[in-house]
Amino acid sequence: MSFSHKIDEWMKEAETRPESAVTIVRLVAKRLRELTERNEELLTENIALQNGTRVEEYQKRIAHLEYQLDLLKRRFGADESSLAELPSASVETTTLSLLIYNNYGRILRLELNADIQALGRIVDETLQTSEQPRLLAVPSNEEVMLLFTSGRVSTCAVNSIATVETSSEWMWNSAALPDEPRAGEFLVCIMPISRLPLSEFFMQVSRRGCVKKTMTSMAQSILGNHYLGKGTLQKMDQPFDMTLCQKKDLLAFVTIEGKLLGLDVNGLSYSAEERIKLTASDYVIASFVPHPDESFLFVTQTGKVIQRQSDSLELSKSPLAKGQALIPPTRLEQGVRFIGAASVRDVDQIVALDSKGNLSVHPAASIMGAGSIEADGLILTIGLIQAEMRKESDL
Amino acid sequence: MSVKVGIDFGTSNSGVAVYDGQRVQLLPVDPKNVIPEVIKTVLYITRDYRPSIGQEAVEHYYRDNVNRQRRYVKQWAGEIDVYGADMHYVRDIFVYVDELKSGRLLQYLKTALRKERYEGTQIFERYYTVGDLAQTYLRLLKQRAEDVLGEPIEAVTLGRPVKFSELPEQDYKAQETLREAAHEAGFKEVDFELEPIAAALDYEQTIREPQNAVIFDFGGGTLDIAVMRLGDPNYRKVYASGGVDIAGSDFDRAIIEKRMLAQFGYGHVQHHPEIMEMIYAIPDWMALPEMGTPINKNILEKAIQAGMAPIQLKALQGLIYNDLAFTFYNRVEAGKIALSNAGATIITLEDKDIALWELYTRYQFETDIHHYRTDVEKVLLETIAKSGLEPGEIDAVVKTGGSSNIPLFTEMLTRIFGAEKVKESNAFTSVVAGLAIKAKM
Repeated sequence: MSFSHKIDEWMKEAETRPESAVTIVRLVAKRLRELTERNEELLTENIALQNGTRVEEYQKRIAHLEYQLDLLKRRFGADESSLAELPSASVETTTLSLLIYNNYGRILRLELNADIQALGRIVDETLQTSEQPRLLAVPSNEEVMLLFTSGRVSTCAVNSIATVETSSEWMWNSAALPDEPRAGEFLVCIMPISRLPLSEFFMQVSRRGCVKKTMTSMAQSILGNHYLGKGTLQKMDQPFDMTLCQKKDLLAFVTIEGKLLGLDVNGLSYSAEERIKLTASDYVIASFVPHPDESFLFVTQTGKVIQRQSDSLELSKSPLAKGQALIPPTRLEQGVRFIGAASVRDVDQIVALDSKGNLSVHPAASIMGAGSIEADGLILTIGLIQAEMRKESDL
Repeated sequence: MSVKVGIDFGTSNSGVAVYDGQRVQLLPVDPKNVIPEVIKTVLYITRDYRPSIGQEAVEHYYRDNVNRQRRYVKQWAGEIDVYGADMHYVRDIFVYVDELKSGRLLQYLKTALRKERYEGTQIFERYYTVGDLAQTYLRLLKQRAEDVLGEPIEAVTLGRPVKFSELPEQDYKAQETLREAAHEAGFKEVDFELEPIAAALDYEQTIREPQNAVIFDFGGGTLDIAVMRLGDPNYRKVYASGGVDIAGSDFDRAIIEKRMLAQFGYGHVQHHPEIMEMIYAIPDWMALPEMGTPINKNILEKAIQAGMAPIQLKALQGLIYNDLAFTFYNRVEAGKIALSNAGATIITLEDKDIALWELYTRYQFETDIHHYRTDVEKVLLETIAKSGLEPGEIDAVVKTGGSSNIPLFTEMLTRIFGAEKVKESNAFTSVVAGLAIKAKM
């Protein structure tokens, strides 16, 4: 049936029942509007195809996928032909490593191959005077990215870092130095990157509460140029942490004076922006991506543990929020400060480094139950060992 | 003590009601439906043979099937003996089975009862006869009614059309299949009442003096007419009854055949019998799902690649392989219903590869079903003539069933009997209400 014949029939309806004419006109007008909108979309798409924008976009996407494949190959230590057989036989048996690193780029790597509580001791005079070391539990077959204060990045395989003996004493001088910081530069943080292909953004958090979002589709050029950026606005500020996120994730960070701030990753801008109003003496000491079934755990320098449910996190939409205050003003005056925070499940473990250099492992459930971490001195820093990592590494 | 209920096992919708001697209670057997007292006559059977009915079945079907993955595996189906002039050999028969298919939706169960050549259907590894399907539906309907009433139901008055079939033996067979199904569903006592007479019993509750009434029960599967003397319980008489298997599903089919097939390649594809077979299967709700074979998919893909009506054939492919047939029939039916109140409507189906948009007017609809109107008028006049009454002697014409709301037929009744005699009744519940009254008699 031809279209003109259809129109004739519509006209006949209008002639038979004049009140139908209004309905017909309304329905045709609605359709016309829909088609106009669709036509505009198609014209835009056509322009993108003609001027090559779409082609470039797909080329970038292909390059990104190739890079992700390359990362996976490196992670599994497989070539292209054996990659197809994964994950059956080619995956090496992994162990869980604990990286203890300072801002001079020194990294101590322990293999967590037994269920012991006291892991060993760092014997170093600078431990209390310099910036606190940081702890990262990571599978030994991982690849990690190092971020420096200049915004420079580099990668190295965890396996390539020499291990130190567990339950002994270590010196920073004898620690590995996979990438020595350049003049005026310090190591800020280390981040595992095996999930990079599955993530959408790098999220950077600075000491003064600046956040910056970068698309992981740019990972190839970031790693190729060894530069991610500082993610700071003020000259005196410096980058603090970096994590991988999805669009739907939340990002939380905690300051030494007990402020907690929650942010919706999707709503953040791609340029560095200050998201919290901090006092002159306050700075960020932890950042993490919370999940619904986890609890927040905050640790003070005396080892006291404060626990909050993840749903207590209030999302901040204001560009300069004050955050949720977790330490009462009286306690702040008494000198109580947070030295670490994490988003944990009951089955996870917490590693704590005290001021005497002792490194110990504690089940998260027991420290949350007891309300404190037992240590010889003040707690300097904490790290998280996720139960999933332990399972993966067959410990 | 168990109760006796009335069940209207309709082509499109069903219902259950109980009568306490004063008041008819329509049971809300489908709480998920817009009208909980009306339940769609659809049955969904999952791969592990768990059945569901009504809106629950529809939701289950949508959740599990629309745009799902398919994976065909070759399965041995049996063997055939081939005899030649001086030879005989046995050949294996294989079929392709979609092993990811999670369930099967069945509708128009009542129509299946009266189909001469339709014995049943294979659902995964089991063969369900028409009786099995009806039994499964009635069993679940009975359970729901018992849950509402809070007591067991062991007896039922089932509605039946005046004619399941024009052939007396097929008509008898359909009723006995339904009776057997009801027994197997758990009803110890089963009797039947003609649907228009049931509607008359419901109408009788509203009149104060005896009158001659024509019950015009025009539903999803059949048109049933009864000419009766009503109003005096001691003198209730059926002058004549008649019917024809023309109803809502035929009008849906007419719309699809005349307006929709072009959207799926009709008129664009010629000399390609396999594709034409698929296109011709579109109006047939039983045949269309059977078209979804890997061979047909391959044929369609090749044709699309060759540039043969690619937009239309892509739409056909989407309709068959994305399990959109049920949605499509529902859209057509919704368009038809909308035309009862409006002069024009839109029938749309937007999905991956399908962008169906059809402005459909009442004029077009009436043109498309005009030949049915002639047949309906003929049956109506014949039934009136059989009753020995003249149209002028009829006091009331009671319309019931969804199709009775179509303006073309209301106009026809008005023209024959006069506007003041044409009475509205509840299109979806008057039959079941009358069946409940009959059950109490």
